Amino acid sequence: MDGRRDPIEIMRDETRVRIGVAPPGIGSVSVPPGTNCLTPSEFLMREPRMAAHYRQGEGITLERGPGLTEAEALLYLHGSIYSAIAAINGLLPLHASAVAVDGKLIAFTGPAGAGKSTLVAALGHLGLPLFCDDTLLLDLAAPGPAMGLPGHRRVKLWADSLELTGSAALELVSDDYPKFYVTRGGGDIATPLPLAALVLLERGAEPAIEPIFGSAKLIALKDDHYARQMFESLHAQEAVERLAIQARLAKSMKIFRFVRSLDRSDFWISTRYLAARLSGMVSG
Amino acid sequence: MTAIVKNTGNFVETEIDDEIVLMRLSDGDFFSLEGTALTIWQAIDGLRDSAALTVFLAETFDAPAEAIRADVDRFVADLAAAGLLSA
Repeated sequence: MDGRRDPIEIMRDETRVRIGVAPPGIGSVSVPPGTNCLTPSEFLMREPRMAAHYRQGEGITLERGPGLTEAEALLYLHGSIYSAIAAINGLLPLHASAVAVDGKLIAFTGPAGAGKSTLVAALGHLGLPLFCDDTLLLDLAAPGPAMGLPGHRRVKLWADSLELTGSAALELVSDDYPKFYVTRGGGDIATPLPLAALVLLERGAEPAIEPIFGSAKLIALKDDHYARQMFESLHAQEAVERLAIQARLAKSMKIFRFVRSLDRSDFWISTRYLAARLSGMVSG
Repeated sequence: MTAIVKNTGNFVETEIDDEIVLMRLSDGDFFSLEGTALTIWQAIDGLRDSAALTVFLAETFDAPAEAIRADVDRFVADLAAAGLLSA
């Protein structure tokens, strides 16, 4: 052991919540509603119906405003606040959903609407354990492959994806965000696993899987998601530092393009095509 | 003739798979070198000029220098225009 604390423990401890009053700002920086502020040890966000303040070592103080629902609070706690805490504690977020295959991770990435959650929900029905949805936290502290941390978010699907994947709706997220939770917890696995492959979800006619190499991998790893921006604002402000991280990831895993039709009638054909090849994609 | 020199303050490089990728620091653009381009890049040692580089590569590839000269000149011109080399 290197004496470093287990990152799962860190995230568990640092994301504990107490109800209280959040400060109006951090230091001399005031944070009006609709904005947030991230520093190397603190995060403060204010929204019209809530505010949340995190300080490293102290957890989250949640200030509940009138009309804040539990579901809405969870969306913030599991979204920006979670990503900020991960970034402050040196964990790199990847905008991806992942499943476990043969003791390794295969993660699926793409812009919002690319079908990441729908795909991992469907792969779950084909027997592949869910590891995380939407955000994959990576621990880069040790040499070798990046280690993924088990997910925290419950998988949420729109009504049409419920039908497409044959998933049961467990709970409506909220009236103004009518997705449905389809899992009870964050994932099926409780231990870190090495990230072996990343798959870019792309639209095309026939299902196809193509490996990509070299500089194309670096381009695939550029990520403008807010969670990555939080990490980079603290740990990789310089382009050289960002390249070092991307190169580290590119060297330690395979990257593929998965091209598939988004026609609903083709969904299970392409999903089964992918599922049959996942073991080969993470081998070696 | 002038020795060809890498402008090491203008880029960082990393090796991924069988490529060397250069990132230009001024704008973050990537330049990918593989195959012959990679061999030329690796032969640039800050001492050789274009003629010496051509001779070295002709020996490496066991090919006539005349057949290689144009490729070397084009490569050097392209990377010099990108600010990655001085010649």
